[in-house]
Amino acid sequence: MLVELRNLRKHFTLGGGLSFRRGTVFAVDGVSFGIAAGETFALVGESGCGKTTIAKMVLMLERPSSGAVHFGGIDLQAMSGAETRSYRRQVQAVFQDPFASLNPRLRVKTIIAEPILTQERVERAVLRRRIEELLDIVGLPAGAADLFPHEFSGGQRQRIAIARALAPNPRFIVLDEPISALDVSIRAQILNLLADIQQRFGLTYLVIAHDLALVEHFSDRVGVMYLGNLVESGPTAEVFAQPRHPYTQALLASVLRPDPDHRPRVDAIRGEIASAMSPPSGCKFHPRCPHALEHCAVEAPAWRDLGGGCAAACHLLETSHAQSA
Amino acid sequence: MQQTVPAQAQPLLRVENLQTHLYLRRGVLKAVDGVSLAVGTGETLGLVGESGCGKTMTCLSILRLLPKQSGRIVEGQVWLDGIDLTRLPEQEMARQWRGRRVAMVTQDPMTSLNPVFTVGDQVGAPLRAHGLASGARGVRDAAVKVLRHVRIPSAETRLDDYPHQFSGGMRQRVVSAMALACQPRLLILDEPTSNLDVTIQVQMIELFRELQNDSGLGIILITHDLGVAAAICHRVAVMYAGRIVEVGDVRTIYRRAAHPYTRALLDSIPHLGVRRERLASIGGQPPSLIDPPSGCRFAPRCAHRTAQCEREYPPEIQLAPHHTVACWHPLHEQA
Ligand SMILES: Nc1ncnc2c1ncn2[C@@H]1O[C@H](COP(=O)(O)OP(=O)(O)OP(=O)(O)O)[C@@H](O)[C@H]1O
Ligand SMILES: Nc1ncnc2c1ncn2[C@@H]1O[C@H](COP(=O)(O)OP(=O)(O)OP(=O)(O)O)[C@@H](O)[C@H]1O
Ligand SMILES: [Mg+2]
Ligand SMILES: [Mg+2]
Repeated sequence: MLVELRNLRKHFTLGGGLSFRRGTVFAVDGVSFGIAAGETFALVGESGCGKTTIAKMVLMLERPSSGAVHFGGIDLQAMSGAETRSYRRQVQAVFQDPFASLNPRLRVKTIIAEPILTQERVERAVLRRRIEELLDIVGLPAGAADLFPHEFSGGQRQRIAIARALAPNPRFIVLDEPISALDVSIRAQILNLLADIQQRFGLTYLVIAHDLALVEHFSDRVGVMYLGNLVESGPTAEVFAQPRHPYTQALLASVLRPDPDHRPRVDAIRGEIASAMSPPSGCKFHPRCPHALEHCAVEAPAWRDLGGGCAAACHLLETSHAQSA
Repeated sequence: MQQTVPAQAQPLLRVENLQTHLYLRRGVLKAVDGVSLAVGTGETLGLVGESGCGKTMTCLSILRLLPKQSGRIVEGQVWLDGIDLTRLPEQEMARQWRGRRVAMVTQDPMTSLNPVFTVGDQVGAPLRAHGLASGARGVRDAAVKVLRHVRIPSAETRLDDYPHQFSGGMRQRVVSAMALACQPRLLILDEPTSNLDVTIQVQMIELFRELQNDSGLGIILITHDLGVAAAICHRVAVMYAGRIVEVGDVRTIYRRAAHPYTRALLDSIPHLGVRRERLASIGGQPPSLIDPPSGCRFAPRCAHRTAQCEREYPPEIQLAPHHTVACWHPLHEQA
C-alpha cells in the first residue's frame, strides 16, 4: 500500500463566545483503509461525513486527533524535515472550492510555476513552455497564463487548479470534488486526461466525489462513509453491482439520472441528517435505516470481511452470514 | 417527478436581447451576446452549457451585480413583475429588489459568507434588514428555522459556528437558506447542488419544489448536472459562447435535442451501470468571446457544419410550440 490510514480520528472542539465549550464534532471517527500504488480510491458519502477532513489529514493540513496516515510505510507524523519536504513534493491536491484555493493576486503563470520552482531551477523559456503545455492539457489557451484568477469562470478556475496540481509531476494526487464545477464535456476531458496520466506515470489518486456515475467510471475501489465512519468498501464494480450496506443501497437508489421521466427514490433515506456532535448510539445509521433491528441501536457493528476485497459494517450482514453459513 | 410547463399568460421574468460586455485591457469581452429568456411563476428554467459560456454573467446582469470596473449591460431589458430592472436607480435596486424580490445563490458559497461573522449572524442579517424578524431572540429563532429548513443538523448549536467550521455542502445549504429567507419571487441558483451528495440533492430539490407550489417562486437553475436538471426543470435553455442555442421543455431537450451541441453535451454524461473505457467529450475549444466568429459559434467543433455555418449565424427556428433552436441543420430534420 502506498498510502495507509490506520484508525484515523479527528475531533473538533467548538469553543463558545466566552470560551466555554459547546461540544465536540466527531468529524472522522476511526477510519482505516489503504490505497495501492497506481490505484484510484474513491470516497463517497453524505455531506459533512468527514471526507474533506480525511483529505486534509492525508495532506498534512490537519493533525489527526489519533491514529495515523502512512505514506510509503512511514508515519506522516514521524517524518523528518527532509522527508516532509519530499512528501509535500510528491503529493498534490485539487480542492472543492476553486475560488478559495487560488491566490487572487497572482497571475495564472505564477500560480502554476510555484510548485515547479519550489523544487527545481528552470530556465524561463522552459518554464513558459511547461506552463503552456499544462494549460493545453486542461483545455485553456496559452494566453490564460497572463491573466488573474478572477478573470475566469468557475470551471476555468478549477482547470487552473488542476494544472497547478499536475505541474510538479506528483506521485499521488488528492482530488476533492475536482470536477463538480465543470460541464460534462470538460469533465469527460479531464477524467480521460487524469486516467491517461495515471497510466503514463503510475499515479495514485484519492478522489472525493458526489457524482456516483463518475465514481463508478473512474475509480478502482470505493469507500462509503457515514458520519465519520467507513460503512462499506471494496472494488467499485462489486460495490455498485451489489451494495450490501443499507446506506450504500439508499445512496445508489437516490441517484438522479439524466432522464426527465426517471423518478429517484425520494424516500430511500428517511429522517433527519444525524449530527456529528451527538452521533446516534450503536450503528450510527440505525435511526434512518429501513432494516434496523433492536440490536442496531445498542451495539456498533464490527467491520466484516465479505470476501472478494469487499467489507462492510452492518449487523444484518452478520445474521445473513450466520444463516448462509 | 412531474414537470408540466405551467400555463403562462404573463411570465414573471422576461429577459430581452440582453448584451453584457466586460471592458478588459485585452479588449471587449462579449460575455452575454443577445440572450432572451422567460421564467413563469412556479416555473424552473434550467440554464446549461459549457464552462465559460456566460451563464453566471447572464444572471449577474439580471441582478446588476456585474464586476464594478469592467462590466456593463449595453443593450436589452430585464422585466420582472412588469418593471425593467436595467433602468432602476441603484438605490432602489438594492433596497427593494436585490436579495428581496430576486435572490441569487452564487457559485462560490465561501465567498458569499463572511469568514469573520458566525453563520447565525449572517443568516439573521437579511431577516432583520427586511423586517422579517426582530429582537435578538426573534432573529435567532428565525435563523434556526431557516437552517433547519435546509437540513443543517444541530442547528441551534451550529448557529454560533464560523463558516470554515462547516463542510462544503453545509456552506452551500446555508447560502441557499439565506437566499430563501426573504421569500423572493425569483430565485437564481448557480450550481446549488454540485457539492451535495445525492440524498441531500433530492431533499433540496423537494424543498425548492414545495416552495414553488406554495408561493409560485420562479427559479433559474444554472447547473452542469444534467441529472439534477432533468429532475427539477420544466424547461431547459442551452447556452454556447454567449448565446442561447436551444430552448425547449425538459423532455424535448433530453429526447429530441436538435442542436448538435446539446446532443454532444448529453452524450458526454457517464451513466450509472454503464462503464465505458473512455468518456465521450467534445473536441476543440469554444471561440474567444472578444472577437467571436461571424458564423455559428459551434461550427468549428461541429460534425455537421457546412460552408454556410461558418459564414452566417443561424436564425432561430421554432420546431415546436416550446422548442426553438439556432442551427442551420437541426438534428432530427436530417433523421
Ligand atoms: N475547522 C473545523 N471546526 C469545526 N468543525 C469542523 C471543522 N472542519 C470540519 N468540521 C466539521 O466536521 C464535519 C466533517 O466535515 P468535512 O468537511 O470533512 O465533510 P465532507 O464529508 O467533506 O462534506 P461535504 O461533502 O459537504 O464537503 C462537519 O460536521 C464539519 O462541520
Ligand atoms: N471578472 C471577469 N473579468 C474578465 N473576464 C471574466 C470575468 N468574469 C467572467 N469572465 C469571462 O466571461 C465569460 C463568461 O463567464 P461566466 O462566469 O458567465 O461563465 P459560466 O457560463 O458561468 O461558466 P462556469 O460554468 O464555468 O461557471 C468567460 O469566458 C470568463 O472567462
Ligand atoms: Mg468536503
Ligand atoms: Mg458560472
